[in-house]
Amino acid sequence: MPPAGIWVDGLVQSCIYITMAFGMVLVFSILGILNWTHGQFYMLGGFVVYYAVTAAGIPFPLSLLVSGVVVGGLGMLVEKVVIERLTSPGYGILSVTAATNALIFFFEGAAGMGFGLMNKGMATVLPGVLDMGSFSISYQKIAVIIFTLVVMVAMYIVLNRTKVGKAIRATSQEPDAASLYGVNVKWVRVIVMGIGCALAAMAGGVIGIVQSVNPFMGRVPMIMSLLAVVIGGLGSLTGAIVGGIMLGLLNSVIAYSISYYSEVALFMLVIILLLIRPQGLFGAAPK
Amino acid sequence: MKKWYNVLAILMTAVIMLGTLGMACAEKPAPPKPTGPITINIGLPMPLSGSASPWGQIPTPFREAWFEVFNREGFQVNGQTYKLKLIQVDDQNTAEGGAAAAKQLIYGDNCKFIAGHWSWNFGAVASVTNPAKVIFVTRTGAPDALPASWGGAYDPKTMPYVVFGTPSFDEFVNYCFTLRDAYPNMKKLGLLDCTISKNGMGWQKVQDTLTKAGIPWQEEWFTYGQTDFAPIITKFAEGGCDVVLIAGWIGEHMAFLKQRYEMGYKNMKVGCSGPFVSMDIYKSVVGAAAFEGAIGAYDDNSKLKKTIVNPKYIAECQEALKIAAEKTKGPYEYTGEIKWIPTHPQILVQAMQKAGTVDDPDAIMKAIRGGTFDTAQGKWTMSGEKTYGSAVNFGNTGQLCIIKDGKEVYLAEHPMDPIP
Repeated sequence: MPPAGIWVDGLVQSCIYITMAFGMVLVFSILGILNWTHGQFYMLGGFVVYYAVTAAGIPFPLSLLVSGVVVGGLGMLVEKVVIERLTSPGYGILSVTAATNALIFFFEGAAGMGFGLMNKGMATVLPGVLDMGSFSISYQKIAVIIFTLVVMVAMYIVLNRTKVGKAIRATSQEPDAASLYGVNVKWVRVIVMGIGCALAAMAGGVIGIVQSVNPFMGRVPMIMSLLAVVIGGLGSLTGAIVGGIMLGLLNSVIAYSISYYSEVALFMLVIILLLIRPQGLFGAAPK
Repeated sequence: MKKWYNVLAILMTAVIMLGTLGMACAEKPAPPKPTGPITINIGLPMPLSGSASPWGQIPTPFREAWFEVFNREGFQVNGQTYKLKLIQVDDQNTAEGGAAAAKQLIYGDNCKFIAGHWSWNFGAVASVTNPAKVIFVTRTGAPDALPASWGGAYDPKTMPYVVFGTPSFDEFVNYCFTLRDAYPNMKKLGLLDCTISKNGMGWQKVQDTLTKAGIPWQEEWFTYGQTDFAPIITKFAEGGCDVVLIAGWIGEHMAFLKQRYEMGYKNMKVGCSGPFVSMDIYKSVVGAAAFEGAIGAYDDNSKLKKTIVNPKYIAECQEALKIAAEKTKGPYEYTGEIKWIPTHPQILVQAMQKAGTVDDPDAIMKAIRGGTFDTAQGKWTMSGEKTYGSAVNFGNTGQLCIIKDGKEVYLAEHPMDPIP
């Protein structure tokens, strides 16, 4: 049985995957596309928090909100300028896929040129460790867990208790009918893209204090959150949460058990799951 | 009368022909001798863009400064003074980039030598330098600069112009001995490397050497891009490893230091076979508390206690550090470049002087193989005949430092034995 520290570490990883997967599913539910640049918004969020904390002296929690607003705004711009055009009639799914893949390299290159390629750390934010007896956990990791809980509660309130949330749910279920009821579907798409990117950005900001920030930090989390989405079921927000939890815990436990073969084992498990249940755990069954 | 004209014509023709022949055979006047030093270009494919570029860019001020200091006197071969000019070309740390950079340096920039190289593209660069008969001074390891019999790319028969001026792979094993010198009561040594570097014979060599030396060890591997080391730290701790050595992965060293501290394993000593490239970055990522006690490679030749270095070379390095600090307008503490530049050019210069030529790569390589060279890293004899198939491996001081009060402090030193 892995020690407690491994489970806690897995939980921290789960939190990041949940937040990112949630944003990815939101975007998929409304825009119908996988945003391949999701990992780069995560990375940009990390940089915004880094500079907000170290250069502007903004307190860390506020810096997270700033990163959500700034990078969410950037996401909205990308939706309006790139995705909206490439998802209109006359363009295929390949166009938007190619465009969002190209944006990966654009954002990484721009971040490298603008912020440099060196790792940037925020070790001074929430320093210290809580001794739990058989294991220790840093305050930074506790912040990740609290952040994820806050985000999930906030998203539940927004989606279920606000007009915007109602509009989002209506659009995801039936965009034409929602439009007939007066929902501006185009703006819902932009808002959802903003929310999705904001979630990714804040995830990047909060993990930036645990690890470090660099232009290439978004690649692996993007793949992992995509796996979480696939495990949970494309289009299912509940699935994104469950998928994220499973992936984070499994990743940590398997890595403890079989070292560097963990990625092979993890991806094999995902394939087996999809063969048994192609729609994922909570996705709608194929017709 | 007509007969005399014929004789005269024949005689005149003969004179003209002989005269023309004589002029053609006459010695051409020697070209004018250069009045000043001749510059020899040394090429360096280096990651200047891409994810590895910080490690390529940070040492640049020191490299350039050292050449500036060296060229004040230059060196002499057969009475002619020469200077060295360093030309760096971005290789992006890729095979394609390395091959392109090598071609640019050799055919575009007329570089006689390639030196100071450490990128992950040994095979690609060597495939360009060897046919061109350009001596290529690089390092062992990472990941294909190992003998073909070990799964690497080096073959002395097809690569007669390769020199391992920095034996990085062998140095890793040597650092294990340095750690044992520093911590004689070490219970178990943890070894951590990336799966990219995992090769059969090479890693087997490491294991066999340590086992033979009576050093208990435990190996773990991480995948490229891995940022979470909690499982690995836990396994090392459960295995009883009180000292861990990471094979040159600086970002991973930072992450490991931080995470092991946060997990409560504050007493686990963590070393890296690479230097602390930037103290500021380490402190910002790792945190001051977790950074204390970190161990890294140390190449400051002014601090050596067991290896004797020519005071002139120590002074040159100190001067270069000072110039680098002036250029960067701040403190410049990075000494990790010393085992590349100046060591590599110093080997080449002395080899040219021994061979009595700057133009004959075969004669220069003959002088290098098995030769003894006095450099900023000390005096070493080229070895490796049995292990690498050719005596082209240089030595190393095995010096490590430890972080105390945020500064690098000498920890221990284990001068490398000649590679068999």
